[in-house]
Amino acid sequence: MDLFGSYALLLAFAFALYAIFGGIAAIITRRPLLIKSARNAGFAVCVLIWIGTLSLWYLFYTDNYSMAYVAAHSNRSLSPYYKFSALWSGQEGSLLFWSFLLSIYVFSALYTYRGKHPELMPYVGVVLAGVQIFFLTMNNFIASPFQVFAGSGAGGILHLATRADGSGLNPLLQYPEMAIHPPTLYSGYTGFTIPFAFALAALLGRYPGEKWIHLTRRWTMIAWAFQSAGILLGAHWAYAVLGWGGYWGWDPVENASLMPWLTGTAFLHSVIMQEKRGMMRVWNVWLVFLTFMLCILGTSLTRSGAVNSVHAFAESNIGHWFWGFLLLIILVCLAAYFKNRDYLRSDNQLDSMLSRESSFLFNNLILLVACVAVLAGTLFPVLSEAVRGSKISVGPPFFNRVNIPIAMFLLFLTGVGPLLAWRKTSVESLKKNFGFPLIGGIVAAVIAVALGLREFYVTLCLLLSVFVTLTILSEFYRGARVISARTGANIFSSAAQLTMRNTRRYGGYVVHFGMVLVFIGISGQAFNQDKQMDMSAGSEMNIGPYNLLLQNYDSTSEPNYSAERATIDVSKNGRSVMMLYPTRRFYPSNQESGTMVAIASTLREDLYVVYAGTNPDTNLPVIHAYLNPLVKWIWLGGAVVVLGTILALLPNRQAVMVLSSATAGASAPVPGGAQPAQVSYSARSQLPDGHD
Amino acid sequence: MGIASALIPLHVDAQKTDRAKSLGTKLMCMCGCGQILTQCNHINCPSSGPMLKELDAHVAKGEADDLIVQDFVQEYGEKVLSAPPTKGFNSIAWYIPGVAFAIGLGIVITLIRLWRQRDVERLATASSAPPVPHTAASELRDVQLERARKQVDRETED
Repeated sequence: MDLFGSYALLLAFAFALYAIFGGIAAIITRRPLLIKSARNAGFAVCVLIWIGTLSLWYLFYTDNYSMAYVAAHSNRSLSPYYKFSALWSGQEGSLLFWSFLLSIYVFSALYTYRGKHPELMPYVGVVLAGVQIFFLTMNNFIASPFQVFAGSGAGGILHLATRADGSGLNPLLQYPEMAIHPPTLYSGYTGFTIPFAFALAALLGRYPGEKWIHLTRRWTMIAWAFQSAGILLGAHWAYAVLGWGGYWGWDPVENASLMPWLTGTAFLHSVIMQEKRGMMRVWNVWLVFLTFMLCILGTSLTRSGAVNSVHAFAESNIGHWFWGFLLLIILVCLAAYFKNRDYLRSDNQLDSMLSRESSFLFNNLILLVACVAVLAGTLFPVLSEAVRGSKISVGPPFFNRVNIPIAMFLLFLTGVGPLLAWRKTSVESLKKNFGFPLIGGIVAAVIAVALGLREFYVTLCLLLSVFVTLTILSEFYRGARVISARTGANIFSSAAQLTMRNTRRYGGYVVHFGMVLVFIGISGQAFNQDKQMDMSAGSEMNIGPYNLLLQNYDSTSEPNYSAERATIDVSKNGRSVMMLYPTRRFYPSNQESGTMVAIASTLREDLYVVYAGTNPDTNLPVIHAYLNPLVKWIWLGGAVVVLGTILALLPNRQAVMVLSSATAGASAPVPGGAQPAQVSYSARSQLPDGHD
Repeated sequence: MGIASALIPLHVDAQKTDRAKSLGTKLMCMCGCGQILTQCNHINCPSSGPMLKELDAHVAKGEADDLIVQDFVQEYGEKVLSAPPTKGFNSIAWYIPGVAFAIGLGIVITLIRLWRQRDVERLATASSAPPVPHTAASELRDVQLERARKQVDRETED
């Protein structure tokens, strides 16, 4: 059983090779049997990867410490919950987990489109198998999670050795969110492989029109939603576990996840232009390519050790493999583009500067500039070292200073874009659509300044947040009022109907609103406070409106760790409001400590209390308290973003009036016997794609 | 539990003044964690504690901000700065986003102008083309299209 998974992965590698070469042969010969055979090989690859992954989980749950990876990342007293997440806690397992998630996407895509799009799918199968074979090379030959301990017996004969117990899981990873955050984020990274494969396949196969866009839109949105949720879950984990009082430190690993998210967001917007107007074909293909490349680049950065990162658990010397793979992707994309670029030619036309099209162009510009800024900041230490021989640091002050103005511009466009009409927007329409939201935003900012707000960017963020929220509400209100007038339903029911009639458009608005909440939450950072002191039992600390009274501190012992815990009575305005229990744990198996932060979270602020340790001079517990305003809005905003994306993924449910060419039932006789294409209304219970 | 306690006597020293806190954000912890000095709370961090004490000492002496930062740079190198300096080669980092924005903006404006020009040319071509002869079929289509437009207007406009 020990090596069962290893054999499964080797077999998967062999099938992936066949899927590539069989697929290429199928494309050349066009033989249906060969096409089917290559596709089935693709299915087999996925199933074998699942078997390999399941067998590694089995080894974790059976405490098989003859396996080096299991011994390094688990121990007998580790709870079953964390034995599940231990699979991706190290380099080798996380790469296998990447293959596992990728195989779920690949299987789903191959299965969904089996027997469909015969001109496109063989190419898609080859590209997907090509990506899979890279990761299978890693899983089998470079960073195998199935390596065993060897011991030498009598006569120097090597045999399998085992250990009595493992080293245990990194304490930072022994937190419930670590069972959700990596799979979510990896699902985002791996999910972008599908649009990449379809875009490259369409380019290689000169697949006509915008079909690949329609086929991959939902896949892209799913990957984007996972990426968004993964980023926010990671931020929440950093906030709740690392104990430094913040949620985003512009660490290279965080930046690596943000970059493909930025280009993916740009793609989700610009693709609408291609769908609606047939514009920006070249740009969209390259945005998809870039998004996938950034996924691989991010992985290279975090696994190569090229940049300093707190995510040191995933560093090793396998980075050059990823750099090589990235280079290969770039070369393949460039070759495919230059060979078939005429296929992407489109007759881009713009009626007016004041149009939805222009707003999308600016949206893409800002998102790409943000990506460049993050990339530059992340890679500049490497560049500086290469040029000057010494590394420099590029930390949060740089990223904040550069990205805050960009973020404000983006927030502004979030409000403006949806209200601009396609082709041309008149000045009257601008006044009508923007007047109320703009006045609302200005009024809110003026009130805030009058109440004492003096932070420029926070005031601007407030103004723009109110502006965007009002534009979104006015969009819902306008549409709902029409439905309400026609059906007699109340405005809320009408808004729900409106949303379900055009899920993509109104789901998109919900996503925008979620982003507004995230922005508001981030702006609260300007007012963070913190205080730290050595506290004896009965001593008090004041922070903001709160008074913290240390009642006592005690210790407990659990199977996997021992803990020191402070009991703090929190009062506000002289009234006891809650008890907090910040804890510091010690894990004897790997001689490491971990923090369990106590957080009292409200919409207004988080009271965040850390048991920072014991002062060796005074032998007293050191309590570090933070008052972080509006943090909860970030998590709420993230939930709204995901809900909005799910909404946008739903098919339009209710009957909508659509223009269609009726071939039957023509009512008016036509002189001369000619039968013109009749324009009529027809109700469809369900539309294949959203319309906005 | 006593053993555990002995192994956990670790914490980050708090800065004594707001000025020290503010200066601490301009410096990185040198333990390799990649975190701001005042935010590093790594277990057994060998750097942040002494560095923060050093910072407090400088502030207590009443030294100027620039001088304090310069002292740290001399001791640890430029890597101790939390953001690239605004002079010399490393200042390029600050220009990259601005240059990217300027280039991107130039491209967007050029594209908009180019595409607008194409639209003008298309309209000019369309207006100079001979009118399409009206037939009964095309008239019927026009009527139906107009009816459709009105219906769409009613559906979507308030």
